[in-house]
Amino acid sequence: MAQLAARASAHDMDLVAQSVGGNRDAFGELVRRHGSGVRALLRRMGADAATADDLAQDAFLAAFEQVAEFRGEGTFAGWVKRIAARLYIRRWRREARMPLGPEAPDEDMGVGRGESGANARIDLDEALKGLSPVERLCVSLCYGAGLSHAEAAAALNAPLGTVKSHVKRGLDKLKGALVAEPSLSTQERAYNG
Amino acid sequence: MADRNFEARLESAFAETPAYADADLFVLRVNDALERNWLMRRILIGALGVAGGLIGGAQLLRSGLIDRLGAVGGAWRLVNNELTSLPTDRVLSGLFGAGPSTGAEILWMSGAMAILALGLFVTRAMREF
Repeated sequence: MAQLAARASAHDMDLVAQSVGGNRDAFGELVRRHGSGVRALLRRMGADAATADDLAQDAFLAAFEQVAEFRGEGTFAGWVKRIAARLYIRRWRREARMPLGPEAPDEDMGVGRGESGANARIDLDEALKGLSPVERLCVSLCYGAGLSHAEAAAALNAPLGTVKSHVKRGLDKLKGALVAEPSLSTQERAYNG
Repeated sequence: MADRNFEARLESAFAETPAYADADLFVLRVNDALERNWLMRRILIGALGVAGGLIGGAQLLRSGLIDRLGAVGGAWRLVNNELTSLPTDRVLSGLFGAGPSTGAEILWMSGAMAILALGLFVTRAMREF
């Protein structure tokens, strides 16, 4: 019982150090803390709920395998998110869902129209749905997984300029949807998986 | 400036973690997968160890090691009998005066390599288990 309490209050880096020694309980605590964040990122990148959960699981398994390589540059959550993002990109490219070339502007993709009142509360997840899949992926990679534009371009195997233009277009659409929400906060609602 | 503010707010929004109703279930699922992987790895290592042992044992038997060991034992007894019948100063000068023989060098090298292999094995075993 005391061990559980100590684990719950331990710093991520302490849990990482224990995980390096093969302590799966310590790693389980890291999964408990950051599992939802990784799942949310994958859904925001465009994965459906089941795929997001599968990839999040794979990301944590990979993280456990490679945990000795985590040196504490950045947060543990950020590190796992990058692993998860790369796994999603790999699947996304394998399924060749969408070409990464420049897309024709799609006026119908605009979001937030008719909801721009001062009190309109549009959460990030809803706003992301208004982006094209590629824009959503690029924006999530750069602002959710913390990749630079160059890193995102390398991960996507796409020209840097293309990624930048997708991010720019995505940001413009998000601004239109979220500018009415001063806190830019996601609504506190329970997700049902 | 406004763009940078918006980007900072967007990063904060991405960092917010939604409260999933099945969060505990997900943790259990990952823990189960970790446990399963761990078990599979141990079984695999064990199976490889057994297979390696069997192959190594078969190779030793096929190489006629037991016969050679018997021959070495006989030779050792013979040498021992000869040595005990020699004066001590002749034995010592034979051992150190003429320098190590090729056979002794091989013996020392084999011993060193065996110790090295044991060290590697223990290190690997400590990492795995």
